[in-house]
Amino acid sequence: MAEQGQFEVDTLLDMPAPGQTRTGRAVALARLLHQDCTHLLDLYRVRESLSSDHTPAGDRIVSLSPSSPDLGLEEQVQLLYSALRMCLGLLECLIQREDEEMEGELEGDYEQARKTVRDRLGHLLHSTKVLLETEEDVTPDHECTEEVDGVVGSFRAKMWTYRVLLELTHWADSASQTLHVLHREREGTDEI
Amino acid sequence: MMSWFFFSLLLGLWARDGQAGGLMPPQKVNLDADNAAQQLSVTWEGSQATSFDMEILRTELMEIVLNETVFVKLNLSTGRYQRNWTSPVPLECTSLSVKVRSRDGQDVSEWSPQQILPGKDLPYKAEAQMYPEVKVVPVGSNMTFCCIVAEGQQFGSMWYSQTRLNETMLSRRTYAATVTNQSLSKPSGTNVFCSNEKTTIKTADAGAVVFVGYPPLPSDLVCETHDLVSVSCAWTEGRKTYLYGTQRKTNYTLNGRACSIEKGPMQCGLDQWEGFWTLVAYNPLGQVRLTDAAELDHRVRPLAPVNLSPRVVQALNAIVEWRWSIEGYKTLSLICQVHLTNLWNNSTKTYTGVGLNSVVLKDLEPDEDYSARVRCGVQKNFWKWGEWSSALAFKTKMDRPDAPDVWVWMNSDDFGRVLWKPLTKRQSHGQITGYEVTLWSPEENIQQTVTLPRTTHSLPINGTDRGSTVMVTARNPAGVSRPASVVKPPVSADEIPVSRVAFNGSGFSLSWAAHANASCGYVWEWYRTGCALDCSVEWTRVAPDNTSAVVQSSDFMSGVRYTLSVYACSSEAPRLLERWHGYMQELAPSMSVPGLSLDQKGSDVQLTWEQIPLEQQRGFILGYNVYLTHTSHPTLYANITDPQLTNLTVSHLSPGSYKFTVKAYTTAGEDEGVTGFISLKPYTDWLILEILVSLGVMTCLLTLISSLCYRKRKWVKKAFYPEIPEPKLPGSWGITQGTLDVKPSPHSMVHIVENPEWESSKEALVTVPEEDEDEDGDEPLALRYYNHVVGEGSTSGRHPYAFDSSASSIGSMDSGRTDVTYTGIQTSASSPVPPQPDASGPGRRVGYQPQCSWKPDSSDAEDGGLDCMGSPTSVTSSQFLLPEDTSSPEGKENLSSATTWFHHFLTGKT
Repeated sequence: MAEQGQFEVDTLLDMPAPGQTRTGRAVALARLLHQDCTHLLDLYRVRESLSSDHTPAGDRIVSLSPSSPDLGLEEQVQLLYSALRMCLGLLECLIQREDEEMEGELEGDYEQARKTVRDRLGHLLHSTKVLLETEEDVTPDHECTEEVDGVVGSFRAKMWTYRVLLELTHWADSASQTLHVLHREREGTDEI
Repeated sequence: MMSWFFFSLLLGLWARDGQAGGLMPPQKVNLDADNAAQQLSVTWEGSQATSFDMEILRTELMEIVLNETVFVKLNLSTGRYQRNWTSPVPLECTSLSVKVRSRDGQDVSEWSPQQILPGKDLPYKAEAQMYPEVKVVPVGSNMTFCCIVAEGQQFGSMWYSQTRLNETMLSRRTYAATVTNQSLSKPSGTNVFCSNEKTTIKTADAGAVVFVGYPPLPSDLVCETHDLVSVSCAWTEGRKTYLYGTQRKTNYTLNGRACSIEKGPMQCGLDQWEGFWTLVAYNPLGQVRLTDAAELDHRVRPLAPVNLSPRVVQALNAIVEWRWSIEGYKTLSLICQVHLTNLWNNSTKTYTGVGLNSVVLKDLEPDEDYSARVRCGVQKNFWKWGEWSSALAFKTKMDRPDAPDVWVWMNSDDFGRVLWKPLTKRQSHGQITGYEVTLWSPEENIQQTVTLPRTTHSLPINGTDRGSTVMVTARNPAGVSRPASVVKPPVSADEIPVSRVAFNGSGFSLSWAAHANASCGYVWEWYRTGCALDCSVEWTRVAPDNTSAVVQSSDFMSGVRYTLSVYACSSEAPRLLERWHGYMQELAPSMSVPGLSLDQKGSDVQLTWEQIPLEQQRGFILGYNVYLTHTSHPTLYANITDPQLTNLTVSHLSPGSYKFTVKAYTTAGEDEGVTGFISLKPYTDWLILEILVSLGVMTCLLTLISSLCYRKRKWVKKAFYPEIPEPKLPGSWGITQGTLDVKPSPHSMVHIVENPEWESSKEALVTVPEEDEDEDGDEPLALRYYNHVVGEGSTSGRHPYAFDSSASSIGSMDSGRTDVTYTGIQTSASSPVPPQPDASGPGRRVGYQPQCSWKPDSSDAEDGGLDCMGSPTSVTSSQFLLPEDTSSPEGKENLSSATTWFHHFLTGKT
C-alpha cells in the first residue's frame, strides 16, 4: 500500500502542470531527476562512508559526449536519450544485484530513493521520446552480465554501484541543461 | 696418477656431504595454497626422517616469516609428508619461498630446492589490488589486509572505513596493515581502502570489504504435531549475527532438509513424524546443532476449533458448539477452555470430553452480551493448549428485574419521600418499563398503589398518607420484580443529639454502637443539611456485623454541610441511631453577620447581631471576633467562643466616636465582617453634678476668704490703705463745713491713648477656631485675645509699658482698640518709660480708671504728671478700677457711695 501511494505521488509529480509545454515538462522532470539522483548518491555515500570528493577508479561507464560541437541540438537530445536508456539499464541492474545480495536488509530511505529515481527516469525517457518523435524503445539498454561488476559484496562491486550513481547524477544534470536549451529554442523562452 | 687422487678425494668429500649423517633431503616439495583460509599446505616425499626444518621467506625481500622444526608422519595413503601453515597475511599479498630439510637430532640434510608460491604483486598483474577482497570474521578478531599498488604507482595510505592504518612494506608493491579487535560492521560491510595519497582517499585504487558479526546461536528446538501426521518444529533465533545477504546470513536445515525462513518465526516443518529431529544453523562463522525427540501422542497440539455457534441461548445459560478441522480429534480425549467475556467480567471455564465439540455455559446474566472463545488440548499426555478460536458473540434473553433498593426519607413529621435507586443494567435484566409503589397499612389492611414511569425514582408522601409500609416493584418486558418494602420511620425519629464528623481525606468516617434489633443490618444516609423538597438523599446498606463506614461520594462539595445518619434496619421501622453534621472542607463564611446594632447605655455600648444563615456559614461557626476602632487601628476587643452568643456589652467608654466590627469565624477563617459606628455623648447627669460641686466649693472658698479678711481687716487696711495724715493748713484756715468742690482735673487721670499704629496691627488679630476653644477651654476667650495682643506688643517692643498696666486690669478689656496708660498714678520714678503726652480730651475718657485720691489744689495736677497720688504700693496689684462714668450725677453718686462703702469696709465702719 505504501509503495502504491508513493507511486501515485510520483505519478502526480510527473504529470504536466496545466499549460505546461512538452519541453517544459521534460525540463522539469530532468531537474527533479537530478535532485533525486543527488539525494540517492548522498545516501549511498553515507552508507558506505565515502567522502563527497571520493572519485572511484576506472573509466566512465556511459561514455557518450552530448556536448560535442559538431552535433546539432536534436542530435544531442537523441544522444541524451540513449545515455538515459543506458542509465536506466544500469540502475535496473544495480537494483537487481543489491536486492539479491541484501534480501531487503537495506536501509529504507536508500531503497525508496532508488525506486524514485528509477520511476522518474522512466518518465523522463517517455517525455524525451515524445520530444524526439522517435519509435525507439524506452526499455533499459543494459544487460547485467558484465564481469567488471565484481564479486557480489566486494569492494569492486561497491565501486561499480558508486560509478553508476555518479553516471545517473551526471546524465540527469546533462538532461536538464540540454532539454532546457531545446525548450528555449522551441518555445522561445526560458520560462518553464 | 695425481689426477686420479684428486678425483677420488672429491668423490669422497661429495659422498660424505651428500649423506650428511645419512639423511636425505625432502624430495618433490609441493605447495598448495588455500587463499580464503590463508593456509599453505607443504608436502614432500623421499625422506625417512620424522622431523623436518621448514623455512618460509617472502621471496622479494627475503624476510623469514617461518623457521621451525616440525615432527611430521608419513601419510601412508599418499606416501607424502604434509605440513599446513596458516599465514597471518593473505597469501596473495606477495610471493613466498619454501624450503624443507630433514632432521635427525643434530644431523640435518640438505635444504630442498626452494619452492615459490607466487603472489599477486608480480609485474604481469599491474593493476592495484587489495586482499582479502571479501572476508567474514567474528567480532573481536584481528585481521591483516595488504594492498598491492598498481605497477608504476606509489603507495599512499590504507584506510579502514574512515581510520587510517599503519602499513608495513612486504614487497616492492605490497603493503600490509593489521586491524585488531574489530567491532560489528554495517549490513553492507566495512570498506578498507588503499589510496595513492597520503592523507586522503579521494581515489580508492583498490579496496576490500570485511563483514564482522557472530556465528548463529539458536536454542529451544521443539517439535510438535497439529494434524497427528506432520511435524512442525520451532526454535528461537537467539543472538543476532549481524550478518546479512545471501552469502552471509544464517541458513537452517532440519533433518538435512533446508528450511526456508523469511523474516518470520523460526519454524520449519516436515511432512511425516520422524520422532527425532536435528536442526543445523550455519553461517560463514560457524554452525550450531540442536536436537529434539518425542513420540507423537506426547506432542499433540490441537488446532483451534472452527465454526463456533450458539446452539441454545437462555436468560441464564447457553450452549455453544464448534467443529474440528481434523478428523482425528474426534477420537481424542480433549480438554477445552472457554473464555467468556461480558461488559464487566471475564471468566475461563474448563470442560473435557472425547472429541469435545460443545459446552453448556451456566450462570450467565440475563439480557447480557457475551463473547466466547475456545481452545483445547489433549487430555492424556497433555502437551500444550492449542490456538484460541475466533470469538463468538451472543446475547442472553431477558429476565424479570431485581428488587429495587428502597428507602423512606422523612424531612419532617408531615412530609417525606419514598426513594429507590435506579436499577443498573445488570439488575434490570432487560429494559425497565416502570415502577409500582404501594402504601400498605397492615393494621387496617388498606393499600394504595401508584404506577410510575421508569424515569421516576421517588414519590412524595406525607403524614396523612395511610399506610406505614411502602413496597416498590420494578417492571420490564420479562415480568415484575419482587417487592422491596420498608416501614416508614416513626415521627420522633429526629429527636437525638447531633454530633460533628470530620472528613478524613477520602470520606466521612462513621462508627456507631451495635444495635440489638439491627436484624437486616444498618443503613446510613446523607444529604445536604437544610435542603428542601428536592433534596438528593443517598443511602447505603451495610451488614449487621458492620458498625463503621466511610461515606464517600464524588458529589461532596466544600463549604456545604451534610447531615449523615445511621439507622438500624429491622422488620420494623428503621430506627435512627446516630446523626452527624460534617463538612468535606470548611470555608470561611460567605457573608457577614446580619443585623448588627449598637446601643449606648450610659458609658457602655451594647452590640447585638444575628446568626449567619446555614447556607452561608460554610463551616461550623466557632465564635465571633469583635474589633474596636477608636483613635487608632482596629484592635481585637473580644473573642466570643460561644457561637450561640450574639451580643456583647462594651463598658466604660469615654465620650467619642467608636467603630465596632464583628466577624464570625470557622476553622477556615473569618468572614469579611460587618461594621457599626457610634458616637458617645457626654453623660449630662455627671456634668450637672460636677457644676454643682464646683459652685459649692467656690461658695465655701469665698466664705472662708471673706471671714478671714473680716477678722484680719485691720491688717488688711494697714497693708492696703494706711491712714493718710490730715493736711495741716498754715494760717487760720478754719475748717468750713461746706461742700468741697471737688473738681476733677481737666486732665483725665486715665489717658486713653489712641494708637494710630494699632489700627494697622489689627489685622494681626485672627479669629480663633472653635476647636481651639476646646483645646484651651480653661482660658477665657477675652483673656486669650488680650494675651495675644500683649504678646505681639511685647514681642515688637513698641509698648513695653502697656504690659505692666494692662496685665492687672481686666477692666480695660473693652478697649480693644486702645492702650491703657495710667498716668500720675504711682508711676515709678525709676520707670524708664517717659509719660506719654495726653492727646485726648476729657470727652474721650471711657472705660475705667484706677481709684485714687487727689489734691484738688495741687498745681501738679495741671501738668498731668502727678495729679493723683495714691498708695505707694505698686499699682499692679493694689489698684482697683472703678467705673469712670462721671458725667452723670448718679454716676458720681454711685462712685462716691461705692468709694465710701469700700472705705468703710476697710476701716471697719458701717
